Amino acid sequence: MDFITTLINGLSLGGIYAMIALGYTMVYGIAKMLNFAHGDIIMVGGYTIFVVLGLSGNPILATVAAIIVCVVLGVTIEKIAYKPLRGASPLAVLITAIGVSYLLQSLAQIIFGSAQKIVIVADMGTVTLGSVSISVSTLVTLGCTVLVMVVLTLFVKFTKTGRAMVAVSEDRGAAQLMGINVNRIITITFAIGSALAALAGLFYLMKSPGLTTTLGAMPGIKAFTAAVIGGIGSVPGAMLGGILLGVVECISYKITAIAPYTDAIEFSILIIILLVKPTGFLGKKRREKV
Amino acid sequence: MKHNTFNKITAVLMAVVMLATGCLLSACGGDKNYAANNTEFVIGMSGPLTGGAAIYGVAVKNSAQMAVDEINAAGGLNGVMFKLVATDDMHDATKVATNYANLYENGMQVSLGTVTTKPGLEWKNLSVDDNVFFLTPSASGDAIPANANGFQMCFADGNQGKVAADYINQNFAGKTIGVFYKSDDPYSAGIYQQFKANLSSSVTTVEAVFTDANTTDFSTQIDTLKDCEFIFMPIYYQPASIFMLQAKDKVAANAVYYGCDGLDGIASAEGFDINSIPQEVSMLSHFDSNATTGAAKEYIDKYVAKYGADTLNQFGASAYDCVYAIYNAMKAAYEADNSSISVTMSASELCEVLKAQFNGSFSYSGVTGQNISWDSTGYVQKTAIRYVVKPAASNEN
Repeated sequence: MDFITTLINGLSLGGIYAMIALGYTMVYGIAKMLNFAHGDIIMVGGYTIFVVLGLSGNPILATVAAIIVCVVLGVTIEKIAYKPLRGASPLAVLITAIGVSYLLQSLAQIIFGSAQKIVIVADMGTVTLGSVSISVSTLVTLGCTVLVMVVLTLFVKFTKTGRAMVAVSEDRGAAQLMGINVNRIITITFAIGSALAALAGLFYLMKSPGLTTTLGAMPGIKAFTAAVIGGIGSVPGAMLGGILLGVVECISYKITAIAPYTDAIEFSILIIILLVKPTGFLGKKRREKV
Repeated sequence: MKHNTFNKITAVLMAVVMLATGCLLSACGGDKNYAANNTEFVIGMSGPLTGGAAIYGVAVKNSAQMAVDEINAAGGLNGVMFKLVATDDMHDATKVATNYANLYENGMQVSLGTVTTKPGLEWKNLSVDDNVFFLTPSASGDAIPANANGFQMCFADGNQGKVAADYINQNFAGKTIGVFYKSDDPYSAGIYQQFKANLSSSVTTVEAVFTDANTTDFSTQIDTLKDCEFIFMPIYYQPASIFMLQAKDKVAANAVYYGCDGLDGIASAEGFDINSIPQEVSMLSHFDSNATTGAAKEYIDKYVAKYGADTLNQFGASAYDCVYAIYNAMKAAYEADNSSISVTMSASELCEVLKAQFNGSFSYSGVTGQNISWDSTGYVQKTAIRYVVKPAASNEN
C-alpha cells in the first residue's frame, strides 16, 4: 500500500504545482511574458496568512485576506512594472520580472527577518484507510485543487470574460479589433493567477508549516517547469504537467537509490520533453510568419 | 644637491631601523622561558566572558576554576599549586592575539586554548610558534587540532558521523534504524557519509533524503520512515522542526529522533513548540545536563551549588575535564620521571611532556566520558551519549 500513499502524496503536491503553473501559463498565454515573480506571490500569501492567523486565529479569514492581498499585489505589479514595458523586448520584461521577484523576497526579509516562521494553519490529523495513512490536509489539498481546476476550466469555456481571455491569447490584435479591452483582460489574468498563488501558499503551509522568504522560489521553478512540460499557454497542459511533476517527485523521493537526484530527475523530464516535443504535451504549434 | 644628501641620510636611517627591527624580531622568535620565575603552574585561556556568547565562556571559566581549586585543595602537583588566568575575547578572533601575548608573557605554561572555534583558529596559529600545549573544551572546528600542540575535549564537527555510528553500532546491532538527511548540504551529507562508512553491517538503515532548502513537504519522506523507532537526522534544526511537526501523528509516539549539533537550539526555535512533538528528541553529545548518576551528576551538583544553574552546560563540563586531564597527564609524567616536570619549566618544555602523554597510552575518565584518549590528529576518542532535549510525551494509553 506504500505505492498508494506515495501516489496520493504525489497527486496532492502535484495539485499545488498545477495551481502555481496555471498562473504562469495563463499570464504567458495572454500577456506573452514569463512572470518569474509569480513564485514570490505564494510567499506573500504565506506571510499574509501568518500575520492574519496570528492576529485573528481564524484560518478562513486568513485565507480570504491572503487572496485579497495577493490579487492587489499582482495587479499592482502588473500596472507598475509590466504595463510600461508592453511592446518592449521580451528580455526586458523577463529581467523586470526577476527584479520584482528579488524585490519581494528582500522586502519580506526586511519586514519579517530571515528566521523561519512556523505557521500551523489547522491541525487536522491523519486518516487511516486500511493500511494507507494520509494527512487530512493532503486530502483537502487534493480536493481543493481539483475543484479550482474544474471551476477555472468552466470559467474559461463558458463565461464572456473567459472566452475573451482565450481570444486574446489566440490573437491579441484581432481580439482588440473585435472590441475586447486587452488591458482589462491582462489585469484579470494577473488577478486570477495571484489568487491561485495565494491558495497555493495556503496549501503549501497546510502540508508543511515552515515559512521563509524563499518559500516560493523552488515551487515557482518547479511549476514553471510543469507549465512548459504541459505546453506553456495551455490551461489543461499546466494541470497535467503539475500533477506529473508532483507524482514523479514523490515516487523519486520514495526510492532510496535515486532519492538524492530527485530535482535532477524532475528537470531532466523538462529537457527530454523540450527535445522530443518542444511545444510540451498540450501546447499548440504556432507558425511564425516572416 | 642638498635635497640629494637628505635622501641619502633618510635611506641610511631607514636601513638601520630595518636592521634593528629584524634583530629584535629574531631575538623574540626563540622559545623564551617566561615561566622562569613562576611559583605556580599557570594555565591560560581565552573565551567570551562578555558579549553574546558569554554563557559559554563563563561556564568554561567557572568550571576550570572549580577544577583548579579542587586540585589545589588536594595539594596540587607534589605541593605546587595551579593558577587559572582567563582572558576575554568576546568571541572575536581579533582580540585573541593580544590575549595570547599577555598570557604568554605572564608565564602561561599550558592552556585551554579558546572556547569558540573562530578565535580558536587564531589561537592555533599563535600557539604553534611558541609550542604552547592547548586542550580546548569546546572549539569544535576540524582544523583546531591541526598542529601537534593542539587537542580537543569536544567532538570535532567533522567527526560526528563516526561518533554517531559508534553509538548506533553499540546500541542497535541487528536492528533497523531510519536516517533522514539533506543530500545537497555539505554539513548533512558529510556527516552522513562518515556515518555510513563507520556503520556496522549488522545495522540496517531505512533512508530518506531531501534536497532543496525550500522543499519542506516531507510527506513522502515521512511515509518512508514512519515505521522506524529510531531516526538519525544529521540536519539543522529548522527543517528538523518542520519534519517533526509533519510527522508527529505518523511516526510512532515512542520513536526517538537523534541529531547532531545541528539540532542545537531546536527547543528555543521561534514559533516551534517542542512539547507539541510526542516523540523523544535527542542529540549526540558528551554531556547530559540532566544526569542523575555518575561523574556528570557530581559535577552538576558542585557547579550548581557554586555558580547556579544558569550557566550549566556542556562547555563547562568539558572545561572541567580539560583541567583534570592536563593535571592527570602532568602527574603521570611526574610519577614516571620526577625530573620531567618543574614549576619553572617553559611552555614549550611542558608541551613536549604533555604531547608524549596525549599521543601515548594516557587516558582519562571524567564528566564527559570514560577512558577518553586522543588520536594522532588531536581528535578526541570517546563514547557519545544521547542527550535528551525533550523526552517522549508520557503515554496516556
